[in-house]
Amino acid sequence: MSRKPEDIVSAAVVKHGSGREAVMGILTDVNRELGYIPEEAIKAAAKAVDVSNAEIYSVLSFYSFFSTEPRGRNIVRLCNTISCEMNGSSDILDAIEKELDIKTGETTADGRITLETTSCIGLCDESPAMLINDTPHTRLTPEEACKILAGLE
Amino acid sequence: MSEKRILTAAEQPEAGAALKKSLEMTKADVVFEVRESNMRGRGGAGFPTGVKWNLAGAASGANKMVICNADEGEPGTFKDKLLLEKYASKLLEGMTIGGYAIGSSQGIIYLRAEYPYLVPGIMKVREELISKNFLGEGILGTDFSFDVEIRMGAGAYVCGEETSLIESLEGKRGEPRNKPPFPVNSGYLSRPTIVNNVETFVSVPYIILNGSEWYQDLGIGSCTGTKLFSISGDVENPGVYEFQMGSTIGELLEVAGVKDVQAVQVGGASGTTISAGELDRKLSFEDLPPGGSVIVFNSSRNMMDVLENFLEFFVHESCGQCAPCREGNVRLLDTARAIRGGKITSREELKPFFMLAEVMKLGSKCGLGQTSPNCFVDIITKFIDFPDGKGGM
Amino acid sequence: MPNVSVTINGVTTSVREGVTILDSCKTAGVEIPTLCYHPDLSLAGNCRMCLVEVEGWKTLAIACVTPVTPNMVINTHSKKVRHARRTVLKLLLAAHNVNCPECERNKNCELQELAEKHNITFNEYQTSPKPSSIEEVSPGIMRDNSRCIMCTRCVRTCEELQSVAVIRPVGRSASVNISTFMDLGLNNVPCTQCGQCINRCPTGALFETSEIRQVWEAIEDPEKFVVVQTAPAIRVGIAEALGLPTDRTTGKMVAAIRGLGFDRVLDTDFTADLTIIEEGHELISRLKKVLVDGDTDTALPMTTSCSPGWIKFIEHKYPDLLPNVSSCKSPQQMFGALSKTYLAGKEGVDPSKVICVSIMPCTAKKYEKERPEMRDSGYKDVDYVLTTRELASMIQEAGIDFDNLHDEKYDRWMGDSTGAAVIFGATGGVMEAALRTAYEIVTGQEIPFEGLNIIPVRGMEGIKDAAITMPDKMASGFEFLAGVTLKVAVVHGLANTRKLMDKVRAGEVDYHFIEIMACPGGCLGGGGQPIPTNPTVRKKRSDAIYEEDAVLHFRKSHANPEIQLLYAEFLKEPLGHKSHELLHTHYTKRD
Repeated sequence: MSRKPEDIVSAAVVKHGSGREAVMGILTDVNRELGYIPEEAIKAAAKAVDVSNAEIYSVLSFYSFFSTEPRGRNIVRLCNTISCEMNGSSDILDAIEKELDIKTGETTADGRITLETTSCIGLCDESPAMLINDTPHTRLTPEEACKILAGLE
Repeated sequence: MSEKRILTAAEQPEAGAALKKSLEMTKADVVFEVRESNMRGRGGAGFPTGVKWNLAGAASGANKMVICNADEGEPGTFKDKLLLEKYASKLLEGMTIGGYAIGSSQGIIYLRAEYPYLVPGIMKVREELISKNFLGEGILGTDFSFDVEIRMGAGAYVCGEETSLIESLEGKRGEPRNKPPFPVNSGYLSRPTIVNNVETFVSVPYIILNGSEWYQDLGIGSCTGTKLFSISGDVENPGVYEFQMGSTIGELLEVAGVKDVQAVQVGGASGTTISAGELDRKLSFEDLPPGGSVIVFNSSRNMMDVLENFLEFFVHESCGQCAPCREGNVRLLDTARAIRGGKITSREELKPFFMLAEVMKLGSKCGLGQTSPNCFVDIITKFIDFPDGKGGM
Repeated sequence: MPNVSVTINGVTTSVREGVTILDSCKTAGVEIPTLCYHPDLSLAGNCRMCLVEVEGWKTLAIACVTPVTPNMVINTHSKKVRHARRTVLKLLLAAHNVNCPECERNKNCELQELAEKHNITFNEYQTSPKPSSIEEVSPGIMRDNSRCIMCTRCVRTCEELQSVAVIRPVGRSASVNISTFMDLGLNNVPCTQCGQCINRCPTGALFETSEIRQVWEAIEDPEKFVVVQTAPAIRVGIAEALGLPTDRTTGKMVAAIRGLGFDRVLDTDFTADLTIIEEGHELISRLKKVLVDGDTDTALPMTTSCSPGWIKFIEHKYPDLLPNVSSCKSPQQMFGALSKTYLAGKEGVDPSKVICVSIMPCTAKKYEKERPEMRDSGYKDVDYVLTTRELASMIQEAGIDFDNLHDEKYDRWMGDSTGAAVIFGATGGVMEAALRTAYEIVTGQEIPFEGLNIIPVRGMEGIKDAAITMPDKMASGFEFLAGVTLKVAVVHGLANTRKLMDKVRAGEVDYHFIEIMACPGGCLGGGGQPIPTNPTVRKKRSDAIYEEDAVLHFRKSHANPEIQLLYAEFLKEPLGHKSHELLHTHYTKRD
């Protein structure tokens, strides 16, 4: 049973404070725990740091890692920048989309995996690479990538 | 000039040695030493670090800040990741020396969201340094205190720009600020602030230990010291290399094992794209500005693929605040696609878009929009043939 | 700051150190195009129209934010600058829906004007035309983001002037747009409908929800008895909206409106006077309850209630202070309720056939008239609200030559006005009008200010206050006020309002009565007024309003003969049974 968005925000405020500068920390905590930032969390964060709901929504909409849409239990971020691209990241993307039967930006029906592409993740020397949640996976092949995904809870 | 491992040498100076030496110096002397070293910021823009520290030290205002820009996001760059992974002790020591020099007790590492797995390692090093009294309250028995926290980004390339980074730390959209005021006078929460790259801070202990003259002897002319390069692409041994400033790109490629070169992108997507005929150019702020990244493309690569990939990156990463960058990158991408689709077939038709590139360089608010057209100009000028000649004005 | 020498286009001149390049060029008579710049707002520096060349700089400088430094050499139309400006302008136009004839702001658009000035006849960067897309609809305000150039003037207006902050940039890069929390739309967030964003939009991305079509249809329907009321600030705004110099043009305005075919042309000033009587008595009654009866449930300070933007603001932001708001309906809504009761009786028409149209300087009035509680007449009290701009548009469509019209008078029963009512249109005006009447009621004497001009409550300062000590000798029944010092405050703009209300909430101030207007400058700067708005324009409108007050025969609300008749024949007494039924209301806490 996961915590309520408001409770995550309250705990984050204890950790990061209630100043405006706490916003990124609060949003990161919610995003990490729930995979996305629901409306109730935005409202709670806005109240905690005393800015408008629109302001928090505006801030989070700026950053690629934040989302207001519910996402899967695992977030796969496949790098699509040049070094990974040169070493076949688009083939990997095709393979994953086919394997999971979803398009980039979508979540599997069972809520297991959300697939995203991302700008350079600094693993160019071990490309192609992806992040699954907080963990990097490198020197991928289409087969290997699919195998890794199959092992996700 | 040649490969020279200092920051990444197998033998590392003892932790805290440079800090100890710094605390025995006056603040002014520490700033002086860094300034005399001529080190220029390792993030890409190349502003002299000592000048920045001097301004922040002299600025009036309480609660000065030391911020480490660990938001390396330039495509093809991973040299700061290596430093954060293996040399965090030197990073924290460099930040602490910076804190002492400008009169700050608070440091923040702004770490990109793509590197969360580095946090435990850095925090462990922090604990060790605190236990040795190199960090925390009353460092080494003095009344100087300094501590560092890590704050995470959330996926925005533009936050590598120092004022965007500050905005983000303040809990806002990572949109660059108008300057002046500069961060040294009014940065994080309006406090005097220095923002330096990871590599810059890591270099500081070496300058303090060995002296500015030693540092000046590394490199070429006013481009002093060593520089880390992340090499990837069509290369046998991709990875991070440390070279003296002023080394040629050819020397670098030789060590990394490159046989077939069509083009090399130096300094990432916003850097300079050179052709095989330019390998004797020097990695220096005067010639080939050395960002952290070197990407090699062999002759099998279609450079229009590369251009499109870069422009897609910029269209995705522009903050969208100022018109030239927000609208300009979209038009450049449209143009690249029009060339590939055969809708633009002559240099003549490209003229307005070269004008656009020039205006983006001159009129964008921050470095992103000012440099994003580089790849468009370089690649079309150097690599694309039209019936009326190569692309370009 | 000392003066420094700068060279602008080869001419050396002396300016104050630290002023911006833009301001120094303005002083030197050199015009620099701007879009995101607005004199009421903070500097954004994001449109890049004001690029200039500064000698020694690698990049171009933006004139609006860059301060001059000693011996700066500035060139505002070098080849580089000219190319850059044209390119930036073309980029903005390329991302803009350029279907100008179908835009509310056609011929009053800063982007269009710059395109014309820069002779943009061809745009290489125009990839495909952008279709119109109405993104947000609310009773007062609409938004079409296909016309938005991301200057963020609306965003800064909402946040800085109004402290409402319901619109923000959302997303990033080319997909960034101005939106609301979760993209819910203005109608579903705490927007006050004040329309200040419209007044500061350089293009037509924001505009009022128009009711011109409905009003024409009512006029053209022979079954309907269409009465129109004109708010105090219209008479100093309509000429400007028609492209004429700012002036008070009450007589021509009445003639023009009559020319449009309305059955009766009447005045919101009439119910402004009525508001003063009702609100004045309410204030006195509250003072008595607190001072004499020691009633702790009666809230002081009492605040005014005529600004619907303020009402929506307090309902969202300070619901705990709603008991402080006067229960009086706004003059617009009092008029509406009376038009379908008192006036229908006087005119001998079936109230169900009466259509009440208001001309308002305001977009929030469009919201106010839709409130479910505003139906005390048994009908919707006010049917349609037109802004000053919409009225101008109808006058133009009808081909009326406004400038050459002869002055005409309002129709009777609800057409009389006083100077006190006219000044409702300016910040401080309601307070001044209220003091003129209330003082006289409780003391039996005229308020001791020369020419009835209560200067301390006039002017454009954000928060003003005044204290008036009552004499020892009071009128019968009001002896409890003898020697009491009445403390009043006047505030305009919701950001100023928030500052004051925070103090009220914290008990840090001991005012008895506060006038609050949502819009900077009061109604004369309302969201329905002519565009542009800026301090100079607002000053001109304010001057015109106080001129009108000075020349009117009646200067005090209680002297209005038709008001006296209304009480004698219909309402009987202030705060009486009929008043409570028709003229007073209640408020709703909102999230």
